[in-house]
Amino acid sequence: MHKQRRRALATACLAVALAALGLAGQAQAKLTGNYTRFAQCPYTNLAVIKCIYSVTNSGEVVLGNKKVPIEKQVVLQGGFGEEVEEVSPFFAATNGITLSKAPQNVPGGLAGIVPEASSPPLVKALIKFFFENSLTGLTSTLELAKPATEIRINENALAGEFGTALKMPVKVHLENPFLGKNCFIGSSSSPIIWNLTTGATSPPAPNTSISGAVGFFEFLEEGRILEMKNNKLVDNAWSAPSATGCGGILAFLVNPIVNAQLGSTTAGHNTAILNNTISVASSAALRKNNAENP
Amino acid sequence: MRTKQTALGAALAALAVLCAMFATSASAAPAWKFEGKALEGSEVVMGGAFESALTIPGLTTKCENFLYKLSIKNESGTGKGELTEMPLYNCTTNSSACLVNTIGAEALPYPSHLATFGTANYVIIEKVKVGIRYKGEECALGGILVSVTGSAGGEVNNTTEIATFNSTTLSASKTELKALSQKIEWSGVFPTEAFQWHREQALSVS
Repeated sequence: MHKQRRRALATACLAVALAALGLAGQAQAKLTGNYTRFAQCPYTNLAVIKCIYSVTNSGEVVLGNKKVPIEKQVVLQGGFGEEVEEVSPFFAATNGITLSKAPQNVPGGLAGIVPEASSPPLVKALIKFFFENSLTGLTSTLELAKPATEIRINENALAGEFGTALKMPVKVHLENPFLGKNCFIGSSSSPIIWNLTTGATSPPAPNTSISGAVGFFEFLEEGRILEMKNNKLVDNAWSAPSATGCGGILAFLVNPIVNAQLGSTTAGHNTAILNNTISVASSAALRKNNAENP
Repeated sequence: MRTKQTALGAALAALAVLCAMFATSASAAPAWKFEGKALEGSEVVMGGAFESALTIPGLTTKCENFLYKLSIKNESGTGKGELTEMPLYNCTTNSSACLVNTIGAEALPYPSHLATFGTANYVIIEKVKVGIRYKGEECALGGILVSVTGSAGGEVNNTTEIATFNSTTLSASKTELKALSQKIEWSGVFPTEAFQWHREQALSVS
């Protein structure tokens, strides 16, 4: 009796071990070659039709009086599903990093002192040293203001240079020792909504129309991956709410100072220009590649 | 002093002759001809491509049956026309992932005219608009409408009665086709044959 129990227990343990090994094998399945960039796409979810991996390499975000060049790469990744009235719902990246957080340096730092373009190099260097150091320097990080499921993609608009190609609810995280850790422009309840287009914008004054570009298409893996190089997504018709949470307990004092520095952030005063390389893959192709490389 | 005046006079005369020559060549726009005689009235030219291929970098689409119907006439000595029909059937791609779901000419008719570039005569098809939708579970382009737009110039060979469209003829005729906002390659070899009043008559352009 005792022996039988032991044997049953051993068999169960073996089965569990084998199952674990099997699962481990599945988890270790890897995408290969051109497909590896889509590793964080939830492509095993059958509701996901395509996967996107977009790298913003340069561009700028103008928020009121502040112009922040994009100098550090920002990655948007995830999947999207069947389109409903030309717009596809978004699925978050499996590692939770749908939009990577890349703190961008704000020229002039907290004081906002930016040298004239014609200033001598020494003046530029001194201003950078005094106003963009770890104490007075200011960074701006773009973050998603709402769950990734709130992002919307319109593939035909993206490829056709018309309408909204990518709709993203975002917020801007301003960071500096004096501002504390919770200084934001935009929030989940009051997000900045970017309606990015590869076509032309129609902003209110004083902004004027600017144009994006679909860029250059190339098909990889016999059409299973679509790559758009030199893609340019723009929006200069968005509005931003006032800064909140700046200066910790002194927020009631610091928020107005930050808002005064920014100036008007109503629609027509802000711009987003994102220069990207966008890759799109069919999730079925990713599942196949994954299955072929256990 | 007189020598200088003579030289100036000769130079001006030479310039005048050159101008007259260029003016003549610019005004000599090609016309549609049958058996060497300029077409009067109108005619319908029809045919099917011997071969054709459209390439967006990495994806080539070929149609086994690429037919056309071109209504032609001469206006003030220049060949004009209208592409009124362009059915495309049995289209495939070089991709194992992407199939052609739908393909078709949109916004017909396309105006056309004859033009001379260098020593060759071209038939220029303008305002082309062809919509293509690809399908395939693994196709990254699935669901996206690919719109081919622009103009295309094909060289007309009077001996073979064939119009050839390719990257060289498009470039030579200063035309281009775009899809997904970028220049694409299109090649096609089309026989030109009258099907109305000038059946079995030699069609030429000059």
